[in-house]
Amino acid sequence: MAEILSLESVSYSYPLPGEGEAAALREVSFEVEPGEVFCVAGPNGSGKSTLAQVCAGLLSPTGGSLLYGGEKVEGRSRLRALRKKVGLLFQSAEDQLFADTVEKDIAFGPRCRGVRGPELDQSVRGAAELAGLDLEAFGGRSPFALSEGERRRAALAGVLALSPDVLVLDEPFIGLDYEGRTHLAAALTGYRRDRGASIIVVTHELAGVWPLADRFAVMDSGSLLRVARREDLAGAGDELGALGMQLPDWAVLARELAALGAPPVNPSDPDALADAAGSVMGGRR
Amino acid sequence: MPTAGSSRIVLREVTYTYPGRRAPALDSVSYRFEAGKLYALLGRNGSGKSTLARCLDALLVPDSGTVEVGGISIASESDRRAVCRIVSMVFQNPDTQMVGPTVEEEVAFGPENLGLPTDSIRSRVDAALEGAGIAGLARRQPLRLSQGQKQRVAIAGAMAMEPEFLVSDESTSMLDHSSRGRVLGLFGELRERGIGIIHATHFMEEAAAADEVLVLDRGRVAASGPPRAVLGDAAAVRELGLDPLIATRVVEELRARGHAPPEEILTVEELVSWLRS
Repeated sequence: MAEILSLESVSYSYPLPGEGEAAALREVSFEVEPGEVFCVAGPNGSGKSTLAQVCAGLLSPTGGSLLYGGEKVEGRSRLRALRKKVGLLFQSAEDQLFADTVEKDIAFGPRCRGVRGPELDQSVRGAAELAGLDLEAFGGRSPFALSEGERRRAALAGVLALSPDVLVLDEPFIGLDYEGRTHLAAALTGYRRDRGASIIVVTHELAGVWPLADRFAVMDSGSLLRVARREDLAGAGDELGALGMQLPDWAVLARELAALGAPPVNPSDPDALADAAGSVMGGRR
Repeated sequence: MPTAGSSRIVLREVTYTYPGRRAPALDSVSYRFEAGKLYALLGRNGSGKSTLARCLDALLVPDSGTVEVGGISIASESDRRAVCRIVSMVFQNPDTQMVGPTVEEEVAFGPENLGLPTDSIRSRVDAALEGAGIAGLARRQPLRLSQGQKQRVAIAGAMAMEPEFLVSDESTSMLDHSSRGRVLGLFGELRERGIGIIHATHFMEEAAAADEVLVLDRGRVAASGPPRAVLGDAAAVRELGLDPLIATRVVEELRARGHAPPEEILTVEELVSWLRS
């Protein structure tokens, strides 16, 4: 399938006043396919957030090219067009929210595109519902008076209200409770299914995204180490550990069970893990 | 340095409602934190964890009930000055608490505000940088550091106050696994030195390693006790809106299949070692 978003040897350096520049990305290349959940995994400081901003057209590469639908994103008009297609959820919700009420904040994007009246109302409601935000309870409140978890939901709703074709999420699972993580995973699955959207999740915490992601790009110090399918990465616990990351604990358990002679199982299913554990126990109780 | 167990924070029937809200963020919370122990503070989003953390540092004063910190009863926000010698806070996002142009100046900020003599500030800063494992970063700019390094700067800043309690409001949530491990290792060392750590987190495996677990739900204490008592039963944990540890979920399934795994299994290592036995 033709890729929707691709990076060709993308580099990005931040200028440091008086100190030259700092390379955040070094010749990174990969393609994201339509309808794919693509995870960019790397430890703190590996260049992930910079990469997210490049994908969303907020930063222009200082080397190499970004392509959307096979065409180079060059010049203002192409960049502006890209920003309409790609929605970015920032790592920190405070960086995203600004309006005096949650509802106005979510409505801001569609309003800027000229959406008004019942249609605006509908897109705000739809986005809030998808993000798991109770609009009745929180819509009239200041985004800055919310708990961290609710604020993150409000920020996500603001991005979803624009119905982007590509959703770029920077550490979306962080600070969310169990319910929030479960809801977000379901929302992303639904969004991909209903809109055929591609979703790029940038994270250092693999547990939340593990059951969703088709492929993982592993980053370190601004460089892409490899792109792997989930089943291939499951055996790379030591490699991830050396980078300061960790396989989800259920993936670790599945591997331990396999080492004890259990058949391979879907590691995110506790039921299957219990079957595997039971098989290891044989006739014992 | 405080001796282990010399100090405590006692909450009695603490209730707090944010202005303009109907439901209280904390509702009759009574609890006692002892120095020299690591507490995990758990609960779903909006359950009152951050509000509780702020009451311990006199950033918030309860509407009713009392908070007593090392013998000081918090009656108004003006008690913050006395309390801040006893309790230090570290927040989720270290950027929100960085003010100094260099790491050492950042760490010196708190002790300077206490009006301490220069020598004493110097020795506190050196000890805090050493303790947080960031002595090599002393002259770097805090905002140029990685998230993990910044969080250790924030902890060093908190330690330079020589507190008896360190309150961490999800300070590990933005850190990668290895930075998280270093911060938790640091918490462990501080505990050995007699400091009480109150660590709000969503990471259940961090809670499993605590001495005591306190779970809030809708502003109330929903459960408290040692990790095995609070987190061992997957169904009960789910009821509290928390993510049961994977080993306890598998144990739950094994029980449903007629097996009889021991009660105390909490971690993957414990489960695997039982399966091997």
